[in-house]
Amino acid sequence: MSDCGKNWRSVLSLLLLGPFLLAVLLPFLWMALGMFKTNTEFFQPLAKAFFPANYDWQNVTELLEGRWVPFWAVLGNSLIVSLGQALGAVALSAMAGYAFARFTFSGKRLLFVLAVAMILVPRQLCAVPLFDWVNELDLSDSLFGVMLPGVVTGLGVVYFTQVFRQVPEEYLQAARICGAAELRVFLTVLPLVWPALLSYGIIHFILAWHEHLIPMLVLTSETKQTLPLALAKLYDVSQRTPQGVQMAASTFAVIPTAVLFALCHRKFKSSLSDMLAH
Amino acid sequence: MPVADQRTPGARWTPFFFLLPFLFFLLLFWVIPLVGGVQMSLHANGLGQAEYVGFAHYKALANDERYFTALRNSFVYTLASVVVIVPLALWLAHLLRATFRRLRPVLTFALLLPALTPPSVLAVLFLMVFHGRNGLLNQLFLMPLGFEPVNWLKDPDFILSGLVLQTVWRWTGFMTFFILAGMEGIPRVYYEAARLATGSRWRQFWHVTLPQLRSVLLFVAVYLVVDGFSLFSGAFVLLGGSGGTADAGLLTVTYVFQKMRFFEYGTASAISVSLLPLMTLALWATFFLRRRTA
Repeated sequence: MSDCGKNWRSVLSLLLLGPFLLAVLLPFLWMALGMFKTNTEFFQPLAKAFFPANYDWQNVTELLEGRWVPFWAVLGNSLIVSLGQALGAVALSAMAGYAFARFTFSGKRLLFVLAVAMILVPRQLCAVPLFDWVNELDLSDSLFGVMLPGVVTGLGVVYFTQVFRQVPEEYLQAARICGAAELRVFLTVLPLVWPALLSYGIIHFILAWHEHLIPMLVLTSETKQTLPLALAKLYDVSQRTPQGVQMAASTFAVIPTAVLFALCHRKFKSSLSDMLAH
Repeated sequence: MPVADQRTPGARWTPFFFLLPFLFFLLLFWVIPLVGGVQMSLHANGLGQAEYVGFAHYKALANDERYFTALRNSFVYTLASVVVIVPLALWLAHLLRATFRRLRPVLTFALLLPALTPPSVLAVLFLMVFHGRNGLLNQLFLMPLGFEPVNWLKDPDFILSGLVLQTVWRWTGFMTFFILAGMEGIPRVYYEAARLATGSRWRQFWHVTLPQLRSVLLFVAVYLVVDGFSLFSGAFVLLGGSGGTADAGLLTVTYVFQKMRFFEYGTASAISVSLLPLMTLALWATFFLRRRTA
C-alpha cells in the first residue's frame, strides 16, 4: 500500500478511537478536577461546572495531613500487603508452574484441574470460613492475615505453566549435563523468563491493591486498614467528608497502579505476545 | 513439550519439591475454607456452632423467587457483557494496530485505565456517568441526540443495561490489551501467505487472525464469566448492594452479599455452592474447547 493510503488509514483509525478514549478519560478527568471543588460546585450540572472556579489545594492537604483517615499509614499498609502478595504469588506460582510444565508425575492432571478450579470458585464462598481460620491462626487484624491467603492463585499457576512450556528443552538439558541439581536448573531458567515474572507480579499487585472483601473481614483497627477500606470510609455519607477530599483520595488510589503498569506495560505486552505465539 | 525426567535418582519427588509451597498454601487458605463454606451451607443461619439442617437452605432456594431473578439477571448480564466486549475489543485492537505506531502504547494504556482503578473508585465514577439527568451519559450522548434522559439507576427497564455498560466500560480496554498482545504474537508469514491466497482483509481476519487468537478469546470469555458470576463486582458497587428498583439489577453476587449482611451465612453459602456446577461447566468448556481447537 502507498504511504499516503497508510497515513490516511492511521488518521481514520485514530478518529474512530476518539470517542472511546473520550468515554474512558472524561470520568477520570472529572475525578481529578473534583479534588479542587467545593461541595456546592461539585453538585452542579456538569456543563456548568466541569472545571473548578479556582484551584484550591486545601482538600489535598487535609487528606495528606490525615484529618479524615490516617492516609500515609493506609497507603503504606496497601503497599506492604500488595507487594508481599505479589512476591509470594510469583514465587509459589513460578515453582508450581515449572513442575507442571516440566515433569510428569502421578496426580498431575488432578492438581492442575484443581488450580484452574481455584480461578472459578466464587471467592465469597470461602470468605467467612477463611476469616474464622485466620482468627484461629492468630492473624486477625494483622497485615499477614491478608497477605498470606492472597499468595495462592490459580491464574498464576496456569500462566507460569504456559510460560515454562515455552522454554526450549535444550536449556534445561545443558544445565543438567553440567551437573546442576534440579533447583539449580530452575534458577538458571528464571532469568530467561523474567518478563513473565515481572508481568505476573504486576497483575497480582493490582489485584491485591483492589482487594476489598478479605481485608474488610480481617483488618479492624484504623491504622491497619488498606486503601479500599479507607476509601469506603471516606465515601460513607455519615462521615460527611467533603467531596473534594473524596476525589483527592480516589485519585491517589489510582496513581500507584497506573504508574506501575505504565512503566512495565511494554515488557508485559511482549511477554504475552511471546506466550500466545506458542 | 514437557519431557518426563526419570534419569536422575530422586526424580520422582522433584516435582513435589517445586509444588510443595503452593500446595501448602492451597490447602491452608483455600481447600480448608472451601470445605468450611460447603459445610456452612448445610447448617442453620447464624454464627458459631449452628445446628445441622441438611439441604434445607437449598430447598428454600428452590422456592425463592428472588434467587431465580438473580440467576436470570446474572445470565443476561454475563452473556451481554461477553457479546458486547469481545467484538468491541477485537475492533479496538484492530484500530490500534492500524493507527500511528508511536501512539499505540499511550492509547492502549489510556483505554485500560479503568481496569487499573479500584472498584470502590469506579463506583464514584459510575455515579457521575449514570447519575439521573446530570449524568455524563445523558448530558453528552442522549440529550444532544434528541433522546429523553434516562434515569439509569432507577428505571427498571434500564438498570441491567446500565450494569452491562459499566462492565463494558471497565473491561473492554483491558481485553483490548490482551487481544493486541495476541495479534502481535501472530507470525507475519501467516499474513504473507494469506495475502497470496486472498486480497480481502476481511478473509485474512477470519482465516488467520481469529483462529490464532482463540486462546486469548477463550481467556477473555472465561474471565468475563467468572467476573459476572462470582466477583465482588461493579454491580454491587453501582447499586450500593441493593437490587435496584423491582430487583431489575439483582445479580447472584449482590444477593449473596445481601444475605451476608444479615448474617444469613448458611443461605449465602448455599447460593455460592449452587453456582459451582455452572463454574464447573465453564471449567470443562475451557479444557474441551482448547483441546478441540488446538
